[in-house]
Amino acid sequence: MKLIKAIIRPNKVDDIKEALDKLHVSGMTVTEVRGHGRQKGHTAVYRGKEYNVSLLPKMQIEVVVGDELLDAAVEAVVGAARTGEIGDGRVFVIPVDHAYHIRTGERDVI
Amino acid sequence: MSTIKLPNLETKPGRKSPSALATSARRAFLSSIERGAGGARAHRRFADGVDAVIREIVREARVQSTTPVAVVALGGYGRRALCLHSDLDLLIVFDGTIGEEEESFVKAVLLPLWDLRFSVGHQVRILSDFDEFERDNPEFLLALMDARPLAGDRAVFDAVEARFKGPGIAANEEVLEALLQLTEQRHEKFNHTLYQLEPDIKDAPGGLRDISAARLLLSLMDAHPSSSAIDRDRLDDAEDFFLRLRSLLHLDEGRNLNVLTHDLQEKAADRLRYSGAQSQQRVEGLMGGYFRNARHVARALARARRLPGPGGGDTTRVTLGPNLELTAAGVVFTDAQAAASQPSSWFQAFELSLEHQVPVSDQALELFERHGVECRPADLLPDAEGQQRLLRFLTPRLGLYARLAAMHECGLLTALFPKFKAISCLVIRDFYHKYTVDEHTLLTIRGVERIATDSRSNRARFRAILEELRSPELLVLALIFHDVGKWKDDNHAEESVRMARPMLDRLGVSAEDREDVEFLIGQHLQMSRAAFQRDAVDPVVVRDFAELVGTEERLKMLCLMTLVDIEAVSSGTLTPWKEDVMWRLYVDTYNQLTLGYGDEVIGGGQGAAALQASRPADIVEEELARFLEGFPRRYLALYGPDQIYRHTRLARDIHPGEVHTFLEHKGDTWNLTVASLDRPLLFSSISGVLSYCGMSILRGFAMTSDADLVLDAFQFTDAEGFLRLNENAPQRLEALLQDVVAGREDISVMLGRKERGVQGRRRPRRVAPVVYVDNEYSQRYTVLEVVTEDALGLLNRVSRLISEHGCDVDLVLISTEGNKAIDVFHLTTASAKLTESAQMGLKADLEKMLEEGYETD
Repeated sequence: MKLIKAIIRPNKVDDIKEALDKLHVSGMTVTEVRGHGRQKGHTAVYRGKEYNVSLLPKMQIEVVVGDELLDAAVEAVVGAARTGEIGDGRVFVIPVDHAYHIRTGERDVI
Repeated sequence: MSTIKLPNLETKPGRKSPSALATSARRAFLSSIERGAGGARAHRRFADGVDAVIREIVREARVQSTTPVAVVALGGYGRRALCLHSDLDLLIVFDGTIGEEEESFVKAVLLPLWDLRFSVGHQVRILSDFDEFERDNPEFLLALMDARPLAGDRAVFDAVEARFKGPGIAANEEVLEALLQLTEQRHEKFNHTLYQLEPDIKDAPGGLRDISAARLLLSLMDAHPSSSAIDRDRLDDAEDFFLRLRSLLHLDEGRNLNVLTHDLQEKAADRLRYSGAQSQQRVEGLMGGYFRNARHVARALARARRLPGPGGGDTTRVTLGPNLELTAAGVVFTDAQAAASQPSSWFQAFELSLEHQVPVSDQALELFERHGVECRPADLLPDAEGQQRLLRFLTPRLGLYARLAAMHECGLLTALFPKFKAISCLVIRDFYHKYTVDEHTLLTIRGVERIATDSRSNRARFRAILEELRSPELLVLALIFHDVGKWKDDNHAEESVRMARPMLDRLGVSAEDREDVEFLIGQHLQMSRAAFQRDAVDPVVVRDFAELVGTEERLKMLCLMTLVDIEAVSSGTLTPWKEDVMWRLYVDTYNQLTLGYGDEVIGGGQGAAALQASRPADIVEEELARFLEGFPRRYLALYGPDQIYRHTRLARDIHPGEVHTFLEHKGDTWNLTVASLDRPLLFSSISGVLSYCGMSILRGFAMTSDADLVLDAFQFTDAEGFLRLNENAPQRLEALLQDVVAGREDISVMLGRKERGVQGRRRPRRVAPVVYVDNEYSQRYTVLEVVTEDALGLLNRVSRLISEHGCDVDLVLISTEGNKAIDVFHLTTASAKLTESAQMGLKADLEKMLEEGYETD
C-alpha cells in the first residue's frame, strides 16, 4: 500500500480525479497549499511597487492505492497534471503500513 | 463503601415501573410524531411521561440518603420541550454535604435512567454552591432559568430558586449578559443568517433556541408595555412548527439530530403531507414554512433585544424630515396613518436610518409590510430624482447590508426591484451553497460593506481597489441582480442580465454605466473560472481575461464581485489561499491592461470586422481601416461603435499643427477628445492647456496610430469653473488648444506663472511618489509608471520632462483616484526602447521633480 502525494497546478485537480476514476481509484484528499520548487516564484510589480510571490499557490492531492495499482495511478496523475512547462509540480510515493476505516474498524481495505 | 440498592425497573403491584412508564411515554410520543402531530403539546406530554419515570426512580433511590435533596429539570426539559432523543438535563441539589450516601443516591438515580436508554446531562451541587453566581458558566446560568422541580424536597428547590429567579433579583443582569453573549456566539456560527439551506432547527438564527431567548428576554424585561408589540401567539406557532419538524428528525435518524438536511427535508415534507406532484415542490412548501417561521422568530428576538428595561427608555424625539422622527426605537413616522397612504415617503426612512446609523423602527417596518405588498417601483420612487437617490443609497458603507436586509424582510426590496422576487427564499441544492439565493445575494453586499469599512480586516489590498472605483454603487447594483436568473436552470448569468434590463431603464443609468453593470452581471463567474479552473499564472489565460474585462475599472469591479460572491457561498469558502490566487490574477491582468496593452494592436483589418459591418454610410471602409490601424486593441474595449465612428470623423482631413476637438458635458464631468497629428510635446501641450484652464483630470488616454494620428481623450471636472463661468468657454478652450499645438502660444510659460503661485507653498504629502520603469513587459515599449500625489499641471510637467529626455510618448493612460495620480507612459526613442542609461536618467530626474514642493518626511 502506498500514499501518492502530488503537488500540482490548481486547475489540474479535476483532470487527475477523472484519470484516477478510470482506474477505479476512489477517495482523494485535496488541500490548498503554497510552495515552490525549481519555479521559485517571481517578483511581481503592482503600481511600481514590487512584491514577492515566491510561494506559489498549488494544490496537494493525496491518494492511497494498493501496490498493484501504484504504477498505473502514478502514471495517471503525472499524465493528467503535465503541461510540459515549469511549475507542473511533483509526485511523491510514500509507503503506508496500515489503513483503517474509522466507522467500521476494517483494516487495510482501501 | 456502602452498597447501592438499585431501584427495581420491573412492574410492582399497583404501580407502574420506570421501564413501563418510559415505554408508555415513548410509544405515545412516537404515535404523535408519525401522525405529524409531534408538536409542542406532544413534547409536553412526553416530558410529563419522563417526569413520572424520574419520580418513580427517585422515590426508590431515597433509601440511599436522608439528606434533603431536590431533583430538578433544566433547559429544554425544564420547559417541557423534550424531544425523543433529547438530553435529560438534570440538576441534583443537596441541602448538606455530599458523602458516600449522597453519591449512592446520585448513582441510584442515574444508572436506571441510562439503562432505560436516556441520555442524561447531570449536575450535582449543594445549596451553598448557589450563594454566588457562576459567571464563568453562562450555559448553566441560562439553564437554571428554566428550572422545574421534578422530585425530592420542594423546600430545597425553593431555596435554589429564591437565589437567582424572580423580579428585582441581581442575577437578572448576569443572565441577560449570558444570554446575549451566547446568542451572539451561536449566531456567529451560522454567519448571522437564518437563511440556511440545511438549517439546524435548534441552534440556527430563528430556531428553537432563539424562541427561548426571546421569551426569556421578555420575562427579564419585566413585561415592559412595548413588549406587547411582540406577537407571542405567533411565537408559539413557530415553536410548534419547529418541534414537529424536530421530532421527525429524531424519529428518522434515531438520535439527537437537529439539522434539516436535504434528504430529511424530503422525508419531512412527505410525512407532513405538503402538497405538490414532485418532491421538489413539496420541499419548497416545507422550507417556505420554515423560513416564514424563522423570520418571525428572528424579528421577535430582535425586538425583544431592543426593549427598554423596566422603567422605560429614552423618550427624546428629533425631527428628521417631513413626518419622520428619530426616537429610541429608531426612525419612526410621526403620523403613521398619513405615511400609510404616502409610499413615496417610505424610502426616506431607510435613507435617514443609514445616514444617522440608527435602525428603522418596528412601527415603520410593520407599516411597510402591511401596506407595501402591492406597491410598484413608481409608487415608491416616482421621479428621476428618486431613482438617483436609490442609486446613491447603494454606495457601500456601514449599515448598508442591514438596511437592505430589513427592506427585504418587510417586502420593500422586492417592491423596488420586482425581479428580486424570483429568488426570494429560493433553494438551490448543491454541495457548496449554504444559504438561499436571496440571502446569498445580500451577503455579497455585506462582503463589500466589510471590505469598505472594516479596517481590521486583512483585505486592505482589496479595500484599496474598492476606494478607487468611480461608481461603487454600480457594483452593489450588479450584485443585487447577479443571481436573479437562478430561478431558471440553465445559464443564469445570461438570464440575470435579461431580468436586470428593465431596472436599468427605470433607474436611468447612463449607457456607459449600463454596459458596465450588464458586463458584471453577465460575466460574474468568469474571474473565478480563470483563477480556479484554468491556470491563472499562464500568460495566455491572463491575456484572455484582460481582453474580456477590457478596462481597469471593470477588472476592479469584477475582482471585488468575485471575491464577495465566493465568500457568500458559505463561511469557509473564501480561504486566504483563494484570496491570494485572486489577487495575483488581478495584478497580472492589471499589468496586462496597463503595461502590456501596447503590444496588441489593430492591424490588417482584424478585430474591426463588426465595426466595418455596421459602418455608417458617410465613412468608407478604407477610411475606417486607416483610422484604426496601429491603435492598441484596448481602444476597441474603451469605446462603443458610435464613439469610434465619431472619432473617425474627427480625424478626417486633419493637417499638421491642427487639432480637431469634441467636447461634451456628462453629469458632473466633461469629456474632451482631441485628434491631431503627432509632433514633439503634443501630449504635454494638451494636458497643459487643461491644467491652465483649471481642469482636474480624472482619467484619460493618448494613443498613436500607424498613420501618426494621435487621439487624446480626457475626462475632467471643471474645478475652477472655466467652462461654467466664461462665455463661449468651449470655443475659447478649442482656440487655445489650436494656438498651443500650432506653436503660437507656449503653454509651459503660461502654466509656469500659475504653477509658481501654488508651488511656492510647501504642501504635506499624502502619497509617496513611485517611479517605475519596465523594459521587459512590453515587446515594443519602455513602460514608465508614475504614482504620485495629484497636483496642478502634474501631467504637463511629467510629459514635458519625458520629452526633454528625447523620448516619444506613444501611449498614455491617466487615472486619478482621489488624491493619487496613476499615469502610465509607453515610450520609445527613435522607434526603439530606451537604453538602460536613458531609463536611469529619466527616472532620477522624475523622482527629483516629484519631490519638489512637498514637505520632507
